[in-house]
Amino acid sequence: MGAQLKNTRRRKKRTFSEWIKSRDGQKVLVMVAFMIVPLVLLAVFTYIPFGEMVNFSFYNMKYIGARKFVGLKNYAKVFSRDDCFGALKLSLYYMGGSVVQLSLALYLATLLSFKVKGGNLFKGFMFFPFLINGIAIGFIFKFFYTRGFVFDTVLQWCGFQLDNLPYWLKDRSINNISLVGTSVWRYFGQNMVLFIGAIMSVDSELYEAAMLDGANKFQQFKYIILPSIKTIFVLNVILSISGSLSAFEPPYVITDGANGTGTYFVVMHEIAHTQQKVGLASAMAVVLLGIIFIVTIFQKLFFKYVFKDSTQ
Amino acid sequence: MKFKKVWAICLASVMTLSLIACGETATNEASDASPAEDTATEVEAETSEANTEEGIPSYTELNLDDYKDVSATIKFTHHKTDRAEDGTMDKMVAAFNSEFPNITVEMEAVTDYAQDALLRLSTKDWGDIMFIPAVDKVDLAEYFMPLDTLDNLSAKLNFVDSWEYDGICYGIPYMANAQGVLYNKAVFEEAGIKDLPKTPTEFLEDLQLIKDNTDAIPLYTNYAAGWTMGAWDAYIGIVSNGDNTYMNQKFVHTAEPFNDPGDDTGIYNLYRILFDAVANDLIEDDYTTTDWESCKGMLNRGEIGTMVLGSWAYAQMQEAGDTPENVGYMPFPMTVGGKQYVSAGGDYNYCINVASSDENKLAALIFVKWMVEKSDWCFNEGGYTVVKGGKNPDMYAAFDGCEVTSDQPSLPGEETFLNDMNSESELSFNAGGNDKVQRIVEAAATGSETLDDIYADWTKAWNDAQAELGISADQ
Repeated sequence: MGAQLKNTRRRKKRTFSEWIKSRDGQKVLVMVAFMIVPLVLLAVFTYIPFGEMVNFSFYNMKYIGARKFVGLKNYAKVFSRDDCFGALKLSLYYMGGSVVQLSLALYLATLLSFKVKGGNLFKGFMFFPFLINGIAIGFIFKFFYTRGFVFDTVLQWCGFQLDNLPYWLKDRSINNISLVGTSVWRYFGQNMVLFIGAIMSVDSELYEAAMLDGANKFQQFKYIILPSIKTIFVLNVILSISGSLSAFEPPYVITDGANGTGTYFVVMHEIAHTQQKVGLASAMAVVLLGIIFIVTIFQKLFFKYVFKDSTQ
Repeated sequence: MKFKKVWAICLASVMTLSLIACGETATNEASDASPAEDTATEVEAETSEANTEEGIPSYTELNLDDYKDVSATIKFTHHKTDRAEDGTMDKMVAAFNSEFPNITVEMEAVTDYAQDALLRLSTKDWGDIMFIPAVDKVDLAEYFMPLDTLDNLSAKLNFVDSWEYDGICYGIPYMANAQGVLYNKAVFEEAGIKDLPKTPTEFLEDLQLIKDNTDAIPLYTNYAAGWTMGAWDAYIGIVSNGDNTYMNQKFVHTAEPFNDPGDDTGIYNLYRILFDAVANDLIEDDYTTTDWESCKGMLNRGEIGTMVLGSWAYAQMQEAGDTPENVGYMPFPMTVGGKQYVSAGGDYNYCINVASSDENKLAALIFVKWMVEKSDWCFNEGGYTVVKGGKNPDMYAAFDGCEVTSDQPSLPGEETFLNDMNSESELSFNAGGNDKVQRIVEAAATGSETLDDIYADWTKAWNDAQAELGISADQ
């Protein structure tokens, strides 16, 4: 009897309840039990809606009412309309802003990672904007840039005449720069904290050794700090660039996308919610996703090449 | 140990099942609701009867005194965030509860109502009462409970035809607006304006007078708020050509709606006021940083001469400062054939969720009827009366001698045309198309485009949309 059982077991299957009690079964059970919650959340709130959105992009539809399948017509429209890709040009402003933001963050992070009086206080102050809600920041800056309000007053203390100051949001040549300024102000503290974290992990003996060899601070930065934080640096660059492609909050809250400040996202929002062309807006979203993919891969390759060179 | 595991699995499965069960009850409710939808279409023939069978009388049949003991908890979603904050809503509900103590009204004020309401509507689970957002009339029966026939209602109430389909009304306005222009009487006096302007040209001359003779901003655009710019669309139709069938019937069929008729009327001259005012520096200095909340006090104090907004704004302007007596309201400065026309119409309309339970539908109907007829909300907001023969606020005194009329509904079979055209052309007249009006301000301020360039662009978008949707353009 016992031998027979053993035989069947070895030959092929255990019953399910036996299997689940075995070590393998328990392992799988635990894995599934732990993974099911995050996976369900991920699927329900990310992948299923995303799939739906891709599906929407093939229809001519409003939020409610009948839908009509139109194939790739929406995509054709995204590429033929001026406003969709025209809006992407504004992303250049935001990319420029992210360069400023990252250099500022890196500079301050380097300074603050050496011994500085009140360093933690500065870190706190500079990180603080990141904690404020984006909508609140929008309102703060709306008043900040209003004619004769905060910014103008501060500049007048510095000796500027109000008449010589531009209208920060009205003047089309600078209003996008004003908006980018708010996003730099908001995010550089966060970048800085990430950089400081990475710099802290550098062994301090390296600095001492470098100092003995006569390296100055800049050389220390170039040959010790930069190579050791390159992973976090690349990550920050990629996040900032894809962030600048999808900039939304500053133009939406401060100017409502009017006066030539409508970024791709704001245009998409307008098309989806005001004009109710949900299919077209979904197609725009899919196209943007494609663009972000391409840009990210391109950056990856670029950094791989650059850093490979510098270490050799 | 084992027991614990079994227990844990049981618990987990119960939780999952309850989730599924939730989903199911929701669908059950929805399918329960579908017979109601069916009746909605049948009601056409026998409204009142169909409704009484369900136990819910129609609006006109409902006698408030008969239902004092109804008990239910209903949810009311609305857009009046300001009234929710200043306690007006709570006061009205308290007054309602003194008559109907067993009906609990939960309220939610939604800031970005026009968009949020549409999103919520698609879930069916948005509560019992809300204000109808921009839906297609064909879909009305799918979402809302029929309130009564148009014939029954229009005998008692004004402006009930905006959400009517096949003779059945699905919405009743909480107040009505007349479309005119807000102005400050003291500023007009100081500027030396004796008679209110009657044409766009006179209006622009008066704005110039305000600029020359006073420190006030002649015309405050409220550009930054966006929707305040879209408010200019309200003067298309009745105000600009005196035709109350234009907006909902003829507009979509007009091939060149933006041409200059040459007599200081029409859509062309409507937006020309804005363009010329901006081009001649008759507006605020920095239009991109205007602030809606603070403009109310500015108009009240006489720092602003005029603002182009519906009459609903009048009460808010009066409340915003110490000189409410200076706030005035005048008909829009456009004269068609020797007469000034005023467009009046319902504001947002109450509607009742077709998917609600019968008790909630009844309680909701009681609440709506009480709000419309007994709350005085319309009067307090400075609204044009919804109840026929109701009292009108004094502010409408300047409207004597003007023809007050409301837009006729669209022709049968063409109910969705205007929405479709708005969406397809992306001009969205009276439907949140703020950016097209903002563009006029930008063009006039920077000189990037002429008004004719903009109109040519609009005409092209309009004609393309007509072609795309197969809507005939014969005029």
